[in-house]
Amino acid sequence: MADTQMADKSKKNRLKSPYLLLLPALLFYLIFWFFPVLTSITESFTSNTGEIGLTNFQLMREDTLFLAALRNTLVFAGVSLILQFILALIVAVLINRKFKGNKLFLFIMLIPMALPQSAVGILWNTGLVESGWINSFLTTTGIQEVIQGLNLASGAMIWKNVSGLEAVFMLILIDTWTVMPSVMIIILAGLQNFNKEYQEAAQVFGATKFQAFRDIVIPIIKPSIVTALLLRLISGLQVWLIGVMIFGFNSVPFLVERIVYYTDKVRTGVNSYKLANAYSIFTLVIVFSVALIFVRMTKNKKRGGV
Amino acid sequence: MKNTIRRTLLYLVIVFISMMVLIPLSYLVSISFSSAAEINDYPKQMFPSFSHELAVTWDEENSYYILERKNNAGKYEELYMSSKFDRIQAYLETQLNVYVEEEDLEKDFVQAKELGQKIELTYRKSFFNNFIKFFTVFGGAEKALVNSIKAAVITIFISMSIGGLVGYALARTSIIGKEAISIGSLIVRMFPMVSISVPMAILLVKYGLYDSMLGLAIVYSIPNIGLTAAITRGIFMGVNKEFEEASMVFGATKLQTFRKITFPLVLPAFAASSMYAFITAWNDTAVSLLLTNKNETLALLIYKSIGGSSSIHYAASGAIVLIIPALAFTFLLKNYITQLWG
Repeated sequence: MADTQMADKSKKNRLKSPYLLLLPALLFYLIFWFFPVLTSITESFTSNTGEIGLTNFQLMREDTLFLAALRNTLVFAGVSLILQFILALIVAVLINRKFKGNKLFLFIMLIPMALPQSAVGILWNTGLVESGWINSFLTTTGIQEVIQGLNLASGAMIWKNVSGLEAVFMLILIDTWTVMPSVMIIILAGLQNFNKEYQEAAQVFGATKFQAFRDIVIPIIKPSIVTALLLRLISGLQVWLIGVMIFGFNSVPFLVERIVYYTDKVRTGVNSYKLANAYSIFTLVIVFSVALIFVRMTKNKKRGGV
Repeated sequence: MKNTIRRTLLYLVIVFISMMVLIPLSYLVSISFSSAAEINDYPKQMFPSFSHELAVTWDEENSYYILERKNNAGKYEELYMSSKFDRIQAYLETQLNVYVEEEDLEKDFVQAKELGQKIELTYRKSFFNNFIKFFTVFGGAEKALVNSIKAAVITIFISMSIGGLVGYALARTSIIGKEAISIGSLIVRMFPMVSISVPMAILLVKYGLYDSMLGLAIVYSIPNIGLTAAITRGIFMGVNKEFEEASMVFGATKLQTFRKITFPLVLPAFAASSMYAFITAWNDTAVSLLLTNKNETLALLIYKSIGGSSSIHYAASGAIVLIIPALAFTFLLKNYITQLWG
């Protein structure tokens, strides 16, 4: 009798205590995540006058920079992802062997990604101004003379004198500088841990080097690359800071830039909170749909390009 | 032959890419050590300088000293004219980061007067001047640094305690819905932190946490709790259960076992996830821009410092202060690199 009681008790304990471990997390996410998100969603469908509907999204749609922001965000995230991946893959394959200074090289490659965004902003801002370090570098190394000799430019470049998609492309290059090295490391790590015998076996059975690479190497290193690229894509869709630090608000609009602009810059405006909220929800939808599409795409393709 | 070409190509690629990364950084470091005079130089130096080369002439007609400085192009350019040494001293301090006693200046300068010709002088720059100035010129830089550390520490505390429990539960107990928890944590991590910040502002105001580091830390913990759970789960599963059972057999309580056996074994995982938490908090600008008013973090202060172009060298040294811890932790985390963009 006593035995069964004890067994009962311990069984009960075992049932209860594991869920108790989850309780703090549950409460935390309920209060600080679920609740605000829910409020945000309901708010976004409630207009200033209390009507329920799409008024706020219409307001957002009428924002003069909405379309540009949407376009820039998608272009930025898409192009930077593809560019960074292709460059990283090429470089990783090129240097896929042990060499002297391997460790030092990997350390150098880690640096750009470790830099806080606002430090990256300062770095490129000091570079892109007319008397900045980029032009200094071109002058001291003599590259500037070559450029002028080829009639590509008549004087010092004014880098910030770009707008629209050109500006977005410049930001993509900066982002590539920041991120490409670490994407490369991830691919390189995959390649170096990869058991070379599989590849050799494939080649013994008559596959060309390229075929072996495409059909054996890529599928095996794919999971870690896909995760990295997915996270990369998500954070690419949230770009804003580098654009604002180099070009200022309103000149190269992005979705998150709009959120920040309406919450921080124009707190006083009647609709600014509503707009910020609508943009938040809209960004959320974009991030989730793009991520979903990406996951689908990478899952369905059984082989070949990731 | 083919091998040599290949090797050369390999090293060319390696050197080229390393340079692409290092040259911009080298310029940033150089700017962060530059004096105001050097900031206006063109072309800029790739490496920081340690001293200024000056030339002094005594102008008999106007009876003042003419101070010239050798710029990066190697030419002397006129900087300043004065006969008063306190003025010259102040000028050297603000424009050249050079700190010299008035008497010493006089001793050096008088030679030009006596010889009646141009003399050349070299003065050492006060090397860390900009870093000290950064904390005095930018109001609240010190406070911002403390705030950043505070926010990071609270974030670490929240994510470790809550996330560690979840990780343990996932690894060691047979709860239902593990899959759902994993997916849930992924969804939460995918959620843009900025999107959360807008509704969060209202909530934090309500609880009196707006403009506080605890408020920021709560937002930073949102992605990090899930991440901590994922990392610690893996480690808890890796810890050999038999060690723990042995410890219990010898009469240790559950808590003692955890403290003495399990915890030391999982410590590396906790260290890794706390570094993540640190980096999330330390590097963030957007959330602190939206959720603070007066209590800035260091990253936010750097972001705001971009406006004043006359103080860009101070901003650059602030950026270096911001970079160093982030760099150190990222390097320590290099084995978990695939997770870094959450």
